[in-house]
Amino acid sequence: MASMEKRLHKELQALTKEPPRGVHVDQESISRNITEWLVHLDGAEGSLYNGEKFQLVFKFSQSYPFDSPQVMFVGNNIPVHPHVYSNGHICLSILTDDWSPALSVTSVCLSIVSMLSSCTEKKRPPDNAIYVKTCSKNPKKTRWYYHDDDV
Amino acid sequence: MGNCLKAQSNDDISLLRGHDSQDSVEQALGPPPPYQEHVQQRMPVYHPAPNVSRTASQLTEEEQIKIAKRLGLISHLPTGIYDGSSKKGKECVICMGDFAVGEPLRILPCMHSYHKDCIDDWLMRSFTCPSCMEPVDAALLTTYETS
Repeated sequence: MASMEKRLHKELQALTKEPPRGVHVDQESISRNITEWLVHLDGAEGSLYNGEKFQLVFKFSQSYPFDSPQVMFVGNNIPVHPHVYSNGHICLSILTDDWSPALSVTSVCLSIVSMLSSCTEKKRPPDNAIYVKTCSKNPKKTRWYYHDDDV
Repeated sequence: MGNCLKAQSNDDISLLRGHDSQDSVEQALGPPPPYQEHVQQRMPVYHPAPNVSRTASQLTEEEQIKIAKRLGLISHLPTGIYDGSSKKGKECVICMGDFAVGEPLRILPCMHSYHKDCIDDWLMRSFTCPSCMEPVDAALLTTYETS
């Protein structure tokens, strides 16, 4: 088994055994293909997203965990957030420049929950319309410019 | 002149027949094999930056120098063999596998340790500790200065 698959199985085991609050992996999606995960995310209590349900897709390349996974929101509820584009792409530095192989599906999910929770006003990024029209399907191909550390 | 190919050399043929014979020899031998492609398939892949993969022939001179320097720096980082003591931690956070007694480890200046193969692969892409994100070369320089 490739080392990448070994690690993914370990992560899956840990995430299934002790899932963080509001995060659960869609086992059915993984049983078909270990390199593509569907993760259900609940908006945190006390946040603007309380009661909302979201889906994230994780795609792993053969060089995971040295290369970051491709992560985006999918489904009919894309959170309205200043760092989330309406096509599901997320502007979050740990998904590209600040990725480290010590990060995991769990830590990425927690970062996204925390990013949503610290939001004070539900709105799309200011460049949403132009970005969604011109971007690549793969959010990792975007050269993100991380300018806002507040949300 | 020695020639280990079975075909006659061009020199011999041109003496016996007209200069048109050169073409027929080339035809008999067929087109040259796609040599370069074969070489590229076997070449190791380098990662001058995270999310960038290139074979040696695709690297710019600047990247080649960077990689050579990086290899040198990595080789100066201390290594050890896991002896079962929990002092060094017991899991490699890169592969998420437990250290087994006798496995080679590499210890970074911040004292985080990993399987040697796991961390060397990462350090070629980014010279930072995966656990604390501390730049390894900065820490190395301080070690040199203080010792």
